[in-house]
Amino acid sequence: MMSYIARRLLILPVILFGVSLLVFSMLMLIGPYKRLSTYIKSPAELKTANLDTLVDKYGLNDPFYVQYSRWIKGVLQGDFGWSETAGQPVSKAILSRFPATLELALLALIPVIMGGINLGVFSAVHHNDPWDHITRVFSIVGWSIPTFVFGLVVLMIFYGVLGWFPPGRLSVWAEDIIRSGEFIQYTHLNVIDGLLNGNLRVVGDALRHLIAPVISISILWWAYILRITRSSMLETLRKDYIRTARSKGVKEKLVIKKHARKNALIPVVTVAGFMVLGLLGGLVITETIFGYQGLGKFFASAASQLDYAAVLGLALYFGFLLIIINLCVDVSYAIIDPRIRLE
Amino acid sequence: MSKEKLIDVKNLATYFHTEEGTVKAVDGVSFEIYPGETLGVVGESGCGKSVTSLSIMRLIESPPGKIERGEIIFNNKDLTKSTQKDMRKIRGNDISMIFQEPMTSLNPVYTVGDQIMEAILIHKDVNKKQARQEAIDMLTKVGIPLPEQRVDEYPHQLSGGMRQRVMIAMALSCDPQLLIADEPTTALDVTIQAQILELMNGLKDQFGMAIMMITHDLGVIAEVSDRVAVMYAGKIVEYTDVETLYANPKHPYTWGLMHSIPHIEKDVDRLQAIPGSVPNPLDFPQGCKYNTRCPFATDKCREIEPEIEEIEEGHQVACWHVDKLEEAKAKEKKKKEKK
Repeated sequence: MMSYIARRLLILPVILFGVSLLVFSMLMLIGPYKRLSTYIKSPAELKTANLDTLVDKYGLNDPFYVQYSRWIKGVLQGDFGWSETAGQPVSKAILSRFPATLELALLALIPVIMGGINLGVFSAVHHNDPWDHITRVFSIVGWSIPTFVFGLVVLMIFYGVLGWFPPGRLSVWAEDIIRSGEFIQYTHLNVIDGLLNGNLRVVGDALRHLIAPVISISILWWAYILRITRSSMLETLRKDYIRTARSKGVKEKLVIKKHARKNALIPVVTVAGFMVLGLLGGLVITETIFGYQGLGKFFASAASQLDYAAVLGLALYFGFLLIIINLCVDVSYAIIDPRIRLE
Repeated sequence: MSKEKLIDVKNLATYFHTEEGTVKAVDGVSFEIYPGETLGVVGESGCGKSVTSLSIMRLIESPPGKIERGEIIFNNKDLTKSTQKDMRKIRGNDISMIFQEPMTSLNPVYTVGDQIMEAILIHKDVNKKQARQEAIDMLTKVGIPLPEQRVDEYPHQLSGGMRQRVMIAMALSCDPQLLIADEPTTALDVTIQAQILELMNGLKDQFGMAIMMITHDLGVIAEVSDRVAVMYAGKIVEYTDVETLYANPKHPYTWGLMHSIPHIEKDVDRLQAIPGSVPNPLDFPQGCKYNTRCPFATDKCREIEPEIEEIEEGHQVACWHVDKLEEAKAKEKKKKEKK
């Protein structure tokens, strides 16, 4: 298994190279004068500046390979370019937003996976009785409501009406605390840092800001994981080895938890992989609605402002994430199912 | 036989209430098994053999399945009235079961050792280490080479025959009084079939248990059974000891089955098959359920269903026209003599 993991990691740079080449050439399809807009701060500049000199200055009219090699040389030295939207280097912009996205993803994962799997198993065990119907309706509704609708409703009720869960990542006073010298940012995850610093007020404030986006993400993925688990579990419960387990005198509870659930989890792992990818890749809509400064929001603004250095950097990040998560999914398969051998 | 019955099934009926209607999978079946003997239950697919065995284990999925009436007396207790909790103590301990598909009957994500140990740990007061040793001993008894190594392997690492041996080891690990074998050799190669049957016969004597052997293969029945129940469409149509059944079948269905077996010493152009097929269980014919395929069927057969009756000592048949079959047999004999 170790050699499999090592081999997969060795391919990583090759794939990232391919991804960068592809995305770079797509960006090259945009004309040099359009790409120049990234460097122009205000409409007033358009009147005074000589656009042709600027295009020459930034080398936007150079042949493809020249521009690409200029960019990749920088990347190899750890310089991903300057992001105009973030007002800081791309690598720094991604790294500073990653903890926010990670924190949101981690907090969403716990209810989604635990709740989705348990409800799915519950629903399958109670196949066709009222409980099953209720969970099924819930899952269909949850999966069908678009995030931008549900998120806005959550924001309206819990912030607009009740004022419980404000948007953003931290309140101003909490922001001041974590920026002060006494507060050490170990992980940049506010909840964990707050706990490590023994500052429960920061923890509370961070959670208060996280709950609303977590609810609006959870409902969607919860419903999805539930559906996959339910159908996989229903299929597993019909398997011969379940009958064998019962014929040995195994308690029904154990038949489900030990014999059926482990087998039923295999397809769920695939979906969970996609989910982690989606969550860590940034949630454009959710982060935008809740004014949450994560990667999703950054990506949306970078793309809309033609900030191609940032787009390229994020593309590499996604590629990296995809490969790592796929690897994790493969390894989890091998752990759950002894028939799968990684070679 | 004056010995006490191990299990006494009286007038058992198991129905499935589906959306299309009620399927009378087992409809009034009575038989008994004595300690240490093998009862063969033979019949075509869908005749209710498996449902009978699952009813004894109380493993009928409910809904839609339900034991409608009848008694299953085992150790002076009626299993049809037992709670699931009591049944769990019996399953795997007093009555064990092995199934048709060794490829899918073992859980793919646990080692065979874990799965055998599970049964031992449920029913016996032993620790994990002892259970493991017992599992290894059982694997040795069922003839699995290198049991210490095999015990830690997963089902997919074993062949079909080996897996069926593991199933047998698992079923016998708690020394049951009755082993229900539901088509244990059907999915296996012929040579492996013979090995498994031989193994089961040997273990039967060693463990002193009774076997209920369910199969559609008359060859298997001849090999292992003491007595045989022939089932058709949810009922037992003929019930007697194995020698009598083969020498002197009294029910037209049994007779038809015997004729459809190819014999190595006879050279025939065409095998005689029973015409038609098993009637749809949702729509059984009125009267004798075999009347649609029976060469001797009369109006009486189409109207009134014959009850199973003892026509000779230890030979029960459910047919109105046992005499007609005898005539046919005599005719056949004459024909042969002429040749």
